[in-house]
Order: sequence, then C-alpha cells, then structure tokens
Amino acid sequence: MRFLRIIAAAVVCFAVACAQQPSNPQLPGAKRLVILKVDGLNADLLYSNMRQIDAATGKPRLPWFAHIFGDGGTVFENFYTRGISLSAPSWCMLDTGHHTLIRGNVEWDRYTGYVYDYLNFFPFYLDYARSREIDMPGVQVLDRAGIPLLIDSFPPDQTYQSFQLYQRGVRWSTLKNVLERRFSARVLVPMLESGSAPSLDELWARQTEKELLAGLANSRILYLDFFTGDIDHAGHATSNAAELLEKLRNLDALAGRIWTAIQSSPLASQTLFVVVSDHGMNNVPGIHNQGFNLPDLFNSTEGGAQHVLLNRHELSDYKVRALDPLVKRAYAPSTLSFYLSGQSKQYPTVWIDLDGNERASVSFRNNDLNKIHILLLQLANPDLKPEIRSAAAAYLMATIDKHRSQWNTASAELSEELHALEPAIAQRKTILENQTKQPREERESGQNKTFLRQAQQLTDWQRERDTYTSYLAHVRALLAFHPDPYRPFSGKISDLIPEMSLGDPNTLYDLQNYIVGPGASGIVLDSAGRLDEERSFRRVNYFPLFAVQRVRNNPQPALSPKPIDFTALRLPAAGTADQSYWLYATDDDQLIIRTDASGNISAQPVSHLIQDADGRIQFTPQPWRAGLPLHLFEDPELKIPENADRATWLSAPHSEREWLQATHLCAYSNGIIGITEELSPIARYVPGTPGMNPLLLRYERRRRELVQPDLEIFAADHWNFNVRNFNPGGNHGGFFRISTHSVWMLAGAGVPTQASRNHTTV
Amino acid sequence: MPESAFMRVIFRLLLIFGIIACGFSQAADGTVQPLSQVAVQKNQFMYYWKADPVGQTAQMVTLFCRNCGAATDTNAGSAAPGDIPLIAVLRDTLGDEDPENDRVLDVWLLNYANPGIGKKLLSAVPFFYWHPGSGSKSAAADYPKPLFDLTAPQHPVLTEAGRTLVQWTAFDPMMMPVRATSRMYRANALDDERLHLETAISYLRNAPVADDGSALTQTEVDTIVARLELRKKLLGGLVSEKQAAKIGADSAFQEERICSRNWEILRQCAEKTGLIFEQLKVAGDDGEYAMLWFPAGNPVPAGGTDLKPIWKLLNIRDPWADARLTSKVGLVPYARSFDSGGSLLPLGEHGAREQPLIPLGVYSLTYPKLPLLLVDFRDQIHIRRHEMTQRSINEITAGVIGISHFTNWYYYVAADLYDFVSGRHGAAMDQAERLDAYSRLRVALVLDQQMDAGLRKAIRTRLDGVSVNPLEAAPAREMQNAQIRYEHLEEESRAEGRLAVLLDQQRRAEIAAFGRSRARLDLDVLLRAGTFGLYHDRAPRAADNLKKLDTYRRLEYHLNFLDALAEAGTQPEVGYDSGRIRAAVEQVSASMAQVNSPAVRAHAIATLEKIKSISQSSDLQADCSHAIALLTQSPGKVRTMPNGGVVADAAVAAQSGK
Repeated sequence: MRFLRIIAAAVVCFAVACAQQPSNPQLPGAKRLVILKVDGLNADLLYSNMRQIDAATGKPRLPWFAHIFGDGGTVFENFYTRGISLSAPSWCMLDTGHHTLIRGNVEWDRYTGYVYDYLNFFPFYLDYARSREIDMPGVQVLDRAGIPLLIDSFPPDQTYQSFQLYQRGVRWSTLKNVLERRFSARVLVPMLESGSAPSLDELWARQTEKELLAGLANSRILYLDFFTGDIDHAGHATSNAAELLEKLRNLDALAGRIWTAIQSSPLASQTLFVVVSDHGMNNVPGIHNQGFNLPDLFNSTEGGAQHVLLNRHELSDYKVRALDPLVKRAYAPSTLSFYLSGQSKQYPTVWIDLDGNERASVSFRNNDLNKIHILLLQLANPDLKPEIRSAAAAYLMATIDKHRSQWNTASAELSEELHALEPAIAQRKTILENQTKQPREERESGQNKTFLRQAQQLTDWQRERDTYTSYLAHVRALLAFHPDPYRPFSGKISDLIPEMSLGDPNTLYDLQNYIVGPGASGIVLDSAGRLDEERSFRRVNYFPLFAVQRVRNNPQPALSPKPIDFTALRLPAAGTADQSYWLYATDDDQLIIRTDASGNISAQPVSHLIQDADGRIQFTPQPWRAGLPLHLFEDPELKIPENADRATWLSAPHSEREWLQATHLCAYSNGIIGITEELSPIARYVPGTPGMNPLLLRYERRRRELVQPDLEIFAADHWNFNVRNFNPGGNHGGFFRISTHSVWMLAGAGVPTQASRNHTTV
Repeated sequence: MPESAFMRVIFRLLLIFGIIACGFSQAADGTVQPLSQVAVQKNQFMYYWKADPVGQTAQMVTLFCRNCGAATDTNAGSAAPGDIPLIAVLRDTLGDEDPENDRVLDVWLLNYANPGIGKKLLSAVPFFYWHPGSGSKSAAADYPKPLFDLTAPQHPVLTEAGRTLVQWTAFDPMMMPVRATSRMYRANALDDERLHLETAISYLRNAPVADDGSALTQTEVDTIVARLELRKKLLGGLVSEKQAAKIGADSAFQEERICSRNWEILRQCAEKTGLIFEQLKVAGDDGEYAMLWFPAGNPVPAGGTDLKPIWKLLNIRDPWADARLTSKVGLVPYARSFDSGGSLLPLGEHGAREQPLIPLGVYSLTYPKLPLLLVDFRDQIHIRRHEMTQRSINEITAGVIGISHFTNWYYYVAADLYDFVSGRHGAAMDQAERLDAYSRLRVALVLDQQMDAGLRKAIRTRLDGVSVNPLEAAPAREMQNAQIRYEHLEEESRAEGRLAVLLDQQRRAEIAAFGRSRARLDLDVLLRAGTFGLYHDRAPRAADNLKKLDTYRRLEYHLNFLDALAEAGTQPEVGYDSGRIRAAVEQVSASMAQVNSPAVRAHAIATLEKIKSISQSSDLQADCSHAIALLTQSPGKVRTMPNGGVVADAAVAAQSGK
C-alpha cells in the first residue's frame, strides 16, 4: 500500500487548498507513477489548444492531450502556483508537497555570501564528476531541512529520474549516449547538409525519452519522470503563436509516445500518468516583453550609487567572461559610488536575484554596517577636525552599542550551534574514514550513494563552520572596537566590516532611510556639537524611488511606462502566529495582508506606512478603492458571495480556500495567498531530520532565514527584470494569472474521466 | 570566397562524398505539420500574388508589391498601375485544382539582371570597391533565367564545388595577379548571388499565403525560402524535400526570435544611454529595422554604469561627447512629438510634448546576436570603411600573399580567435550576414512608400555608400528591370513558349527519376556535373506523361502522409481523422498498381505494415491488410516502359480503380 500512500500524499499536498477535493484521492489500481514535468507550460494556452479542432486533421490541435486527459482522464482547469511563479520555488513544492523552502532561483547567505544557485547545472556536473557533489543544490537544501522528495518514497532501483532542478545524482550513461548521438554519422550528415544539427537539448530529450520508454517496459521501475524545459525556453524567446503551437505539438506527440508505451507495458492498467507544470507564462502575440534594468537604477546616483552583486553577467552574450559556466557571482559596479569606489568585489551592497523575470528579490547590506563603514572611513582621515572626529567616534560607538545586545545574542546562539556542529563533524569523519577503508567501487556503488552524500555534507559543514566563524570574528571585533576620538583610525576596515557580507537584515525603517554615503558636506555637527545624523549621511527611501521609475523608451502603447508594479515585504510580527505583509505601489496606494493563527487571511488598504527608528509602524487606513496593489477591488472577476459588499468582504478574514475561490480568475489570481507563502517566516517550514539535535535544527532554520531577501519587487505587466539575456517573448515570476496558471492532468489507473473545475493550488 | 569558407567547403565535400559513396546520404526527413491555420497573414495589403496560366497545366504565380512603383512609373501588365512584380514562381498543377499533385519548380527574382561584361571585368580588379553606373539595361534582351531550379537543388552544390576546386588547384598555385583577380571575381560573384538570394527571401517572407490556389501555400513558401536559404550553404542543396520545408518554417521562427531579441537589446541600450529608440516600418514590415535618435537639449544622463561596452555594441561614438550634437550645429534635428505616456509618436504626428531629435543610426534587427548598424548619420563612411577594411584584409591574405589553411593554419586560428573575441564584445564579424541585412534594407527602401520621404532619402543616400561590390546594380534600375522581365515571362508562358519547354523538361526528368534508388540519383547528379550539364536523364515525350506524373505525385503525397504517421509510432487515428488515413491507404494501394518500382513498393508495404501494427482501428487495419495483399501480388502484372516510367497491366489498373 506504499504506493497508495504516496499518491494520496502527492494529491493532497498538491491540493493544499482544494475547493472540491475528489471524494477519494487514493487510487487502488495504481502501482506505478509516470510524471511529465513541463517547465513554464501555461494552462490557458494548453487547454485552449486541446479544445480547438484542427481543420487539417479533423482532430484537436493537441490530439494526444485531448485523448489521454480530456477524454480519458482528469484535467484540473484551475491549478495555480502557490507563491511566486518561478521554477525553483514551484518545483520545490511540487516535488515535495511541502511549503516552499526555496524562494528564488538563486539565494544568498547574508552573512557569508554563499550562493545557492538552483538553476546552474554545470557546477553540479563538474563537482559530481569529481565526487564532490551528489545532488543538485535544491536537493541538498531539502535534505538538510529533512524534507523528502516524492521520488524518495521509492527505492532508488525502482526509479527513473530525468535531468531536472531537483535531481539526485547524474546518470553518466545518458550523457555518454547524448554525446555519441551528437557526434555520430547520423547527426553529422544533416548537420553538414543543412547546418542545422539537432541541438544538445534535443538530443538530450531524445535520449531521456528512449530511456524512459525502456524503463516503462521494465515492471520493476515504479517511478518515472520526464522533465522538459523546451516550452519555458520557447515562451521566453517568442510570443509567436505558430511557434508556440509547434512546441506544444511536439510535447503532445511526446505525451502520445509515453502513453502508447504505458499501454503496451506490463503495468498498463496500474500506471498513473501525470502532466504537471510549475507556472505559466505571459505570452501575448504581438507584444514584446520589455526589460527594466534594476542594477542600473542601484548604480545611479538616485539609486544610491551602490555596487550590485548578481548571479549572472549582464548582457552576457557580449562578454567573454560570461562564457564561464561556473559563474556564481557577477558584479555590476557603480562608477559613482559615494564611499566604496573601486571596492565592488569586496563590498557589493545590493544583492539581487534577477532570475525571476517579473520579480526580483533584493538584499541590502545592513544599514548600520554602511553607517559604521562610512564613519570608519571618516575616522581614518588624518585631516578630520578634532571636534568632528570626536563626534564621529561617539556616534560610531553609539551605533555599535545599539546593536550590542542583539549581536551578542546572535553570535552566542550561532556559536552554540557551530559548537554543536563539531561533534557531528567529528562523528561524520569517523564514519567516512571507516567507509574509506572499503574499496572505492564498493562504497560508491550504493544505490542511494550514501557515502558521497555524507562526504558532501561534511564538506559543507566544514565550510559553513569556517565562514560563519569568520563572520562571528568580525562581529566580535566590532563589539570590542572602541574608536579613538583623538587619533585617526589606522586599522583595517575589513577586520571590522566583513567583505562579501550583508550582515543582519534591514528593518523597514532602514529601507526607508537607507544610508548610501556620507552627506554632501561630509560629517556635520549639530548645535550641541554632536554628529548631525540627518545631514551627515546621504539617504535613499527605496519605496517611492521604485514607484516613480518611468522609462524613456516605451514604444508599445499597450505597456505602462511604469515598469515597477509594487514592492512587498513582511512587517515585523506583532505576535508569534500573526503575520503582516506590506504591498507598496505608491505612498497613497498600499495594502497590508494579515494572516492569523488559524490561517485566515485579511487585507486592509492603507497609505503612508512608515516605521520609525524605534520600530513603531504607523499608517493611515483608507477605504477600498481602485488602484491598490493587486487591483482586487476593481477586478470584474472577483467572485464573492452574492449580496456581499466588496469592501467588507475583502477586509474580513477568510480562509485560503475562500480567497482562492474569490480571486483565482482575477488578474492577479491567487496573489494574496502567494504573498503569504513567499514572504512568510521560513524557519517553521524546516522540520529537520528525525532525531536531529535541537541546536542543529535551529542552525538549519537560521541558515534558511539568512537567505531571505529584504524585499521583493514585482514588475508591471509585460515588464521584466532580466538583464542577463532578453525575454522578448513571455515572462513569469509574479502573480499575474497568466503566469501562475499551471497545468495538472491525470490519467490511467482508475482516475475518473472528467474535466474538473476544482480550484486548486499547489 | 574567404579562405576559411573555402576550407570548410573542401572538408565538407570530402566528407559528404564519402558518405554518399557509403550510401548514407539520406537526410533526416522530418514531418512537417501545416501551420497555415495559425500563420499570420503579413502585409497582405502591400503584397499580393497574381497567377497567370502557363499552357493549360501550370501557373506562373507572381508576387507584386502594391503601389510600390509609383516612383518608378512602372506598370506590370494586367496588374494595377504602380504595382511592381518581384518574384515569379512556376507552379506545375497538372491542369487540375487539387494541390496534392502540385509542385513548385522554378523561382525568378524579377529585379535581377545578369551584370554586363564591363561590371564583371571590374569585379575581378583587386581592391576595387565601387559600382559604377546604375546597372544593366539589357534586361529587355535577356530571357530571364530562373534564380533557382527547385527540382535540382543539388546542381549548384556541385557547380560551386567544382569552381572551388578549380580555384584551389589551378588558380591559387599560379602567380599572384591570377590568384588575386580570380579570388576577387569569385568573392564578388558569390556576394552578388547572396545579395539576390536574400532579396528573394525577404520578398517571400512578406508574401501572403493561401490554400485556394490564388497564392502559394505556406508549405510552398516555406520550401522555397528554405531552398534559397540552403543555397547560401555549401551543401544545402543536398537536403531532402521534406527537411527543406521544415527548415523554411524553422528559419522564419528563428528570424522572428532574432528580431524581437535585437529589438529589446536596442531599446535597452537606448534606455541606458539616454537615447530614443524608434521601430521603423519600411515597406510594410515593422519588425526588421529600428533607429536611434539623440534628444537634443537633454542633459547628459547621470548613470553610474560604464557605457563603453554599450557604445561598442551600438557601433557608434558617444553622442553625448559629440560637439556637433550638443552644440546643435552641423546636424539637422527633426521635430518629434511624444504622447502623454512619454512614447515617441510617428514622424508628423503631434502629441503632448515636442522635442527636437537628431538621427544617429539605422539598425537591422535581423543580424544574429545583435542589432547591426547599417546607417551612421554622423559618419557617412563609417560602415563602408569597415567593409572595405575587412575585404582588403581577406584579399591581401588569401589573394595577394596567398596564405593557405594548410601551411599557415596558425594565422587562421588567430584570426578566428580574434573574430570570436570581437564578436563577444559586440562587433558584427559575420560578413555574409551583414550583406544579407544590407541587401534587405536596400530593396525595402525602394519599395517603401510609407516612411517620411526626407528621412527615407537620407537613409538611402547613406546606404548607397555602403555598397562595395562592382557587380551590384542600383535598386531603382533593378525595379525597372523587374517590370520588363515580368513581361518577358508572361510572353514565354504561352503554350509553345520557353516556360512550357522548361516545364516539359523538368516533368520528364521527374518521371525518369521516380522510384530510383538514392545511389542512382546521386550518380545522375555526379554525371551531370561531370559533363558540365550535358548529361540529362529524361523520360521520352509521351502522351500519358501527365497521367504518370499525376499518379507518382499523388502516390508520393499519400505515402509521405502515411510515413509521417508511421514515424510517429503512435495510434494514427488519435491524431488524424480515420477517414483521412483510410483514404490515403486506398490511394497508395490504387496508385501502386500503376508503379513498378521495387523500392517504392517495399517502402509502401513497410509503411502500411507499420500503420497496421500501431493502429487500433479494425477498419484501418483491414484496409492496410487489403492494401498489403494487393501490393504483394506478382509485380509481373505491371510492365516497365523501355525508356523509364511504368505502366499498369490493364487488369490490375481496373482492379485498383474499383
């Protein structure tokens, strides 16, 4: 009955907020699971083509999807990404049935600058070949958090996993066969004849399909999946309806071949065939999606002249260094930096995950670290006037003192956790040493490759111990630092301010008063002879800055000249269970979304929300009206109970299911739920492994908290933040319905034959 | 031809000949799904097709540009005054309206005239980069030869290979003047041919399509475009028919991708640098060109990012540091308007805000990887200088010095490395693709009637300066020639005209080739090349040739359809209506009774067996079984004609016609 449990778990997890749950998600006839995972497949595009009849064939345009799922299975017409519509977070949920633990395509550790690059396969392949890594980075994160993948429910020898984001191991035989196909005479002939040899991706897909079909013929294999990114790649590149249809037809033919193989396999009647996609794509024929360059904004004077850290090179096609497939950090230095000129590689102060197309996550260096850095530079100036030096030293000391308690606590806790890590490291070393006495082939031949996983985790632990210890050393140095009010500072700033580190997260106050350099006149004293904080530092309030952005070149009237839709962040929690999320479009157009202990969600329109230096939040409540973030009030597709007043209903707490039913057809579909998923405190979603040392569990939770950004920026419709390449086709990443509307279809093994209209979310 | 290309030619030739000899020359035959259902009818108001009969059994289908000849005062026969004929295609319909047995045979680029002897001589002069005169006036005396014979795409491959071998073995070892002039002539001739191939492709990409016989179908256009594209590649002529149609469709998709990506690159670069981006609509196409304007009077943008790489990518000097722009002297600004949202309005429209803009450059968006600067308004010889420099380097190294890939390989490694690095930094290093982009804008400007006349003239004047090929004619002269050549073709399309002769030859060659093995077909091609075109294998003239062709083509059509289903390997009746499949099986069965080719018969049986095995329809399976049974009957009931072709035994024919 293990399989039934898995299917039930998968179905239930996929449908956390299912409005009309199938009466019995268990499928007594199911023994084998085959999943076709399609990255970026828009449900609207797929379903409309499944319904349309092709005059040339007399059949639906996508005959196999219509035949397998439309006529003989179940199509979930309203299935949405929960959280942002981005590959790494979405597949994380789909592959685990768990709240998302990965919230971007790349994540940065604020303390150490460690990069979690979930999309880059090359370093993984290389490290796998060198026996340094065994799983993709996303899988490593999930393993450390104690969250299993769906495939883990099957013994390794009963699975066939294709190449994908959450991949365990590499099958070199696949790669070898692909390369053989690439350079075989059969491929060389058409290449020579037409110059259009099949791409590596095509060959890879063919080889994977071949292996999958062979696996279907083997009754021992009970889990098989096929991951394809073709639709996503094509959707980003073009909105040409004919080309997208061509890609869908290829996918349809693939589904037909898999279904045909299933039907002729030994477990035909016991095989469940699933097609699922992680997000949609906002392709609209005739519209080019336009990019807005956030690094340029942060590099500019108005944006704070900050050095920016990215995970990929900008305009990567026009740089030789962008050919480096192992790149994890790319720098976008500002030529106008106010205090860090020439130090972009040591002190990038803004870190961005731009790989989210319609959304970017931004992490800023801790505001007070900026302040301390600027003051240290001033204090190092031998020409500083004595009274200014004295005031600056006092102010610096006060700034450190302000954090003293928090830093002491945090460093003590982290030290405690690292201390707890030591025995684990020692124990792991012993285990591995014992295993290394076995012949190499023997210890690496285990089907789940436990040895390599343990070795990799040991390496990670040691690296983390060293880097966190280094960070703590800086914090302790700062705590011990007493600036000399009489003599120039002669120490090394890098001993006090860690390089490639952001420090603690910023508060809302910090982001509304972000220090980007010394004031125009340098350090200025007030009438009392103290440092005048207001005039001594140059500040940026990022929220209105984002709101006023307009582009000079907007050739398409269908697009707004305003590329940024809104900014979102989590407000400080009032209680342990209640959370508040702030959506900022302009000073006048803001929304607070609240969740309570029972999971109910409510929304409140506000304006002019600010946090003061003491942490108090102030705002002006306002009535519901058009123009607020997510545009729910004016959306004609908002489905609330009859006779209910829109404003009253929207302000009242409702369950997720009620919100989903009311909003899923709206322009932002389940965005209100998505915000609560994407920005919620993440530590509670780290369950840890069974029997885990509580200190190590706290450590794991801390590590996840440390990769959370300060804020998320969402692009206006048909705008995106991709600066690496260009996505003139479609984009995704935000909450637009077209971007979140995903595909989920089931057939075989007794799945009822019906087109379901359930309102489902991952 | 550059040395590097030459070496690729030789290598590929050797390899492909080896492969052909081993019998591996079949191309991967992909299935082509018709996309006409979703094909966007582009520019259907600007371009249209006109079909003229050729005898009783074929058509000359001509693409016209509506009202594009107003300036040149042309009148294309029965077409509307001012319309210019651009492309003519000979379509063999066999006298019926059923597209199943249609074939497109030849393509004429009507504005192309063979250069005169004077131009040819000049084109052989090393370092001569001008084109004197407007071009040939001899179009009236010429019989317009087709630009491309679609029935024999392999022929140019072998001709070209032969010329290359002659260059390599005969001219290159001779003294420098011979080597340099012969190489110069070949390079210019190849460029001239490429220029006109690209012109034809450009016209066809804008052509409307229809399935009702009034125009070419999408598949026909895709096939022709692919053949012309493949003509640019050394071994492209060896690609199979089915593969060609797929390549044509894919190349259209690819071009749209490139255009939209370049569009966005240029827009973002304009945004970064404080310039104004404008998409240009030239000759009805609004996706291939864009302009950058300098906003006169604006303050220098305070960015914070290093703009040097961007200027390199845009291939222009920093306009903010150009005194002629900032001081408002020397360059004439255009009065332009912006709407309330800040978007630039078309020239002549008035909006919420006005600002003088100075044109900086015109870019082609079709060049792979980056927007290609075609016109630099501030530096008229900028582009020409670049073209001349690159050509000079090629001539000096390959023609004058005689650097060879064999003995001086390190030079070419270094040169390729340099090109690669330069390309990665945003330089357009592909000379052939640059020529394509130039070629397109050149003819588009002649046809355009929508752009502001002053701006068009400014662009055209500067673009004319880019031409470095003595063989090139002035576009306006070419358009005049187009009209004359169209009239010639109309005249030749009478029953006993030269088109009818050409048609008859191609039909008889098709009959003779039907059912032959690939090895035999390859041998025919080699024999034809080896005898400099004297060898022909054609069926004799016969009264029933049309009937035979009809049978062969229909058989091929239905067999291709069934092959596609069989190759898919899945239940055919899911993807296609069963009636359509059963009809195809019946057609194959009936047609095979009149064909005695063992290869085709074996092919048909294998296909039907496969269809039978993958189908779950008992009716279809029964049809396949019946057809297979008929096909496996003694072939003695079919007689082979002594001079090629086949004829059915009367009894079998009667049976198949039941």
